[in-house]
Amino acid sequence: MSDLSKNAQCVLRILASAGALTTTEILEIASTDEFADFCTDCAGGDAFVAAANQLVQMGLISKKFGKGGYRWQLVKD
Amino acid sequence: MATGEGLISMVNWTKIRNDFPALERTINGRPVVYLDSACMALKPRQVIDAMNEYYECYPACGGRSIHKFGEEASNAYSEARRKFRKFLNASDDSECIWTRNATESLNIVASAVKLPKGSKIITTSLEHHSGSLPFVERARRDGLKTEIVKALPDGTFDIEDWKKAVDRNTSMISVVHSSNVTGTVAPMKEIVEIAHDRGALVISDDAQYAPHHPLDVQDLDVDFSAISVHKMCGPTGMGVLYGKLEHLKSMNMCFYGGDTVSDVRFENGEILPEYLPPPEKFEAGLQNYAGAIGAGAAADYLQAIGMSEIEKHERSLLEVALKRLSDMEHVHILGTNDISIKTGLVTFNVDTVSSAHDVATFLNDEFNIMVRSGWHCVGPFHYQMGIDPKKGTVRASFYLYNNREDVSSFLSGIETLIEASK
Repeated sequence: MSDLSKNAQCVLRILASAGALTTTEILEIASTDEFADFCTDCAGGDAFVAAANQLVQMGLISKKFGKGGYRWQLVKD
Repeated sequence: MATGEGLISMVNWTKIRNDFPALERTINGRPVVYLDSACMALKPRQVIDAMNEYYECYPACGGRSIHKFGEEASNAYSEARRKFRKFLNASDDSECIWTRNATESLNIVASAVKLPKGSKIITTSLEHHSGSLPFVERARRDGLKTEIVKALPDGTFDIEDWKKAVDRNTSMISVVHSSNVTGTVAPMKEIVEIAHDRGALVISDDAQYAPHHPLDVQDLDVDFSAISVHKMCGPTGMGVLYGKLEHLKSMNMCFYGGDTVSDVRFENGEILPEYLPPPEKFEAGLQNYAGAIGAGAAADYLQAIGMSEIEKHERSLLEVALKRLSDMEHVHILGTNDISIKTGLVTFNVDTVSSAHDVATFLNDEFNIMVRSGWHCVGPFHYQMGIDPKKGTVRASFYLYNNREDVSSFLSGIETLIEASK
């Protein structure tokens, strides 16, 4: 996990504590006090979503497009 | 001849498109549709070849080594500055300073220009963070006043707001010439006239303007202009600061060291430097020779096509995109639809998805269509418009290598996204 970018680690932490989340929900959680120390690059969202897409490529999380947009979820072993 | 883009032009746009090797790629068996040129322009072979020639044939220091490689590097480096001077229509090569990007150009001016104590700096709510923050921080550093001219909701400015804001105490104005969010072109000539009438200097953020429109710094009479070469088909890590020679001469230096000095004496236990005038005054240390040569090649490439032709071509594509997007029920466009005052980009949101990032991700995943999502480093205007920067906006930007098929693919992609998400 330490090889992952800070943004990617933040996405993983958020998804580990929740079920499927929309992109906006992830970014909103990232900007809460609980994640303030860890998730610092979420203001514009783009770098954060780019990191999430990398996690999908790595098979660590999944995303599914449907009503309202994408839902992101941790891939369980 | 008819180009297929709806305009009469002598330019063979298909041939131009073939100059860009990145567009030859396919991903998952499909071609790419690149609509993110407002962030990073693709590079033509002519620019890549010019840079490769430096690395392969004469990869030496310019301005110091007396051998053949050094001589060729020096000549190419000087020639690149001359090409850029012509591109901007500056009056002297020395008015073009090589920087890393427009951000660095803006920072140099913000930190090094001499401004009277207690004077006022004006910037706008539409600025890229690089156009506002260096000046906000300069004001903080020296206890100067700041005033923000608010852009109108459609991304234009009311010239009366400028007349009210700029007073005799105003020393500096930083204004974006073409917005990277709304694409709107500011009335720069009028703003400069107002500023100069009241004794203020103007720096024009031309990062988005220079790649897409004819730029004549003498005609505009701007005091400074900031340009990012990577947005105009040139290499990354290269920018230009244009400044009127009198201003560049009077500014403080930012970096000291090799190549900035005419002499460095050692007398009575002290090191005593004598510094060179611009441009060397601002170009400390070994320079990015390949980058400068690439920048010159990019300037040549664009000028050979013609900046007016490029502007017309982009607007012809933008017109099609704006018209169809405007007709889509769930699409909300940010900025004016008046293409006569726009650079070739459109920024919008789709209300069937929760975030602009979903649009960019969907277009990329499903169709290899590359657009930008986010706040585009323009937080203040997003806040002004009540748009949560985290949700952001989608930006599709067109350049000389794009064609009608690209626009059609993009619009079809948006329609597919809306159907799949509502």
